[in-house]
Amino acid sequence: MESRLLLTVALAAALGWSLTNIEWDSPLVHSGGGTSALRFLLALFPPDLTSEFLAIAVKASWYTIAYAVASITLAVAIGLPLGVVASGTVLPETSAWRRPLIVGTRALLAAMRSVHELVWAVLLVASVGLSPMAGILALAIPYAGILGRIYAELVQDVPQPPLRALRATGAPPLAALMYGQLQMALPDMLSYTFYRLECGIRSAAILSFVGIQGLGYQIQLSMHDLLFSEVWTLLIFLVGIIVVVDLWSTYVRRSLVS
Amino acid sequence: MSVAVPQHPLVAVDGVSKSYSDAPALSPVSFAIQPGERVALAGPSGSGKTTLLYLLAGILQPDTGSLAIDGKDLARVKPGRELSLLVGIIHQQYDLVPHLPVLHNVLAGRLGQWGLLRSAASLVWPQERGLAENALERMGIGDKAWERTSHLSGGEQQRAAIARLMVQSPQVVLADEPVASLDPAMADEMLRLLTGLAEDGGRALVVSLHSPELIRRFCTRVIGLRAGRLAFDLPAEAVTGRTMDDLYRLETPFSDMPERDGTPVLAPAGTAHQSRLPPPGAFR
Repeated sequence: MESRLLLTVALAAALGWSLTNIEWDSPLVHSGGGTSALRFLLALFPPDLTSEFLAIAVKASWYTIAYAVASITLAVAIGLPLGVVASGTVLPETSAWRRPLIVGTRALLAAMRSVHELVWAVLLVASVGLSPMAGILALAIPYAGILGRIYAELVQDVPQPPLRALRATGAPPLAALMYGQLQMALPDMLSYTFYRLECGIRSAAILSFVGIQGLGYQIQLSMHDLLFSEVWTLLIFLVGIIVVVDLWSTYVRRSLVS
Repeated sequence: MSVAVPQHPLVAVDGVSKSYSDAPALSPVSFAIQPGERVALAGPSGSGKTTLLYLLAGILQPDTGSLAIDGKDLARVKPGRELSLLVGIIHQQYDLVPHLPVLHNVLAGRLGQWGLLRSAASLVWPQERGLAENALERMGIGDKAWERTSHLSGGEQQRAAIARLMVQSPQVVLADEPVASLDPAMADEMLRLLTGLAEDGGRALVVSLHSPELIRRFCTRVIGLRAGRLAFDLPAEAVTGRTMDDLYRLETPFSDMPERDGTPVLAPAGTAHQSRLPPPGAFR
């Protein structure tokens, strides 16, 4: 309790000190910013809804969705086995390999997710070139690290009595995993994976900034030409995709839980 | 009813003791169970009933002594395939996987025998389906095979759990407080189904049970435990309310203490050993 109070005081002091570092007399927002923001806002009325541009937006959305879905699929394929291993349920408690295996996979997952997807993209584009595969891997690697970690926790956190009962029927650890942990963790694993698909769509759009096709790439082009009403159209498409994924995930989860 | 006595008893418990971090849970106890016996374990909480059941199930390992089922030393039986054919246990909470269809929960009784591939395949194409359907049929819930287990009522879950044991088909069936939270009608039903399970071909049942009336109706024998020692070992028909009152009252000064503090004060050291059991079948 005392150490917590100490920490609070220390953090508050750090915040106070940081305020003294700000140069209060120079403006925080540059003078032309207001007019630019206003121009951008006004471009929403209306967004660019010409059929030629809508065709471009649809195609760009399709690219973004394809990158996100391919990446998340690969991330699940990598993250699920790693997560299960990291949860430590595949080896009996008595095994000498259990501890090193858990620590090793956890470290691997941490390494995968501690590098941001944009950095992975830069690294991969530099090494394998500007190919779709570079984009997919750039997303899949950090996402596998995130998914694996969450899967490991969900698998660990399932109620234990049904598992003990399964083990008592003689089920080996992997069979207990299939009939026990995975069944009980599935609804939460699915809903988290859907949430990550949402994040993946945002990330796939951002990845376009390193030159990969999609909504982000189009946003960048329109921004360059200061065509703000086009930017709005693309943003509306992005929000639309996220909303659809959200509805889909709610529907799937509900049908699983009921 | 006479059962041919084989050369070794179905269950042989020989000088078995168990402590948790130096507090004795079970002082050395010895007894034997013959095929066809239905044994009630009675005693106040902390008397070692659950410890004894878990030792018999191979879930716990004894500190001293040995347990054998069908002549096989449990210390040498590998958990999994072999153990699951010797002994099976049912808990008060049934412990089914709520998300699975009932059929798969019942077939889980076969996971000890199946290889991994077959277990995985069974989730898509149920293996040995007839076995499970037959067990569910016998439990009177044949129509619930594809129902999600969490949708079943308490009574139906209890039947599904017994069907799983039936599919597992161990020689010794253990039940840990199976009727503790059931109303009288459901308790009757549970014990009827469990004892029916034990009657199939020379098996045995060991069940923790407190009511003398239920013990007389469903069991052939009752073992009283007190502070980790054998207090008595009687034919079921000899048990009276008095016997049970004594068993539970004697422990009252200590009953509110946790199990690990239940030091044996009432039975002088060694009595548990000396109160050797009547010869098998003597009380039939």
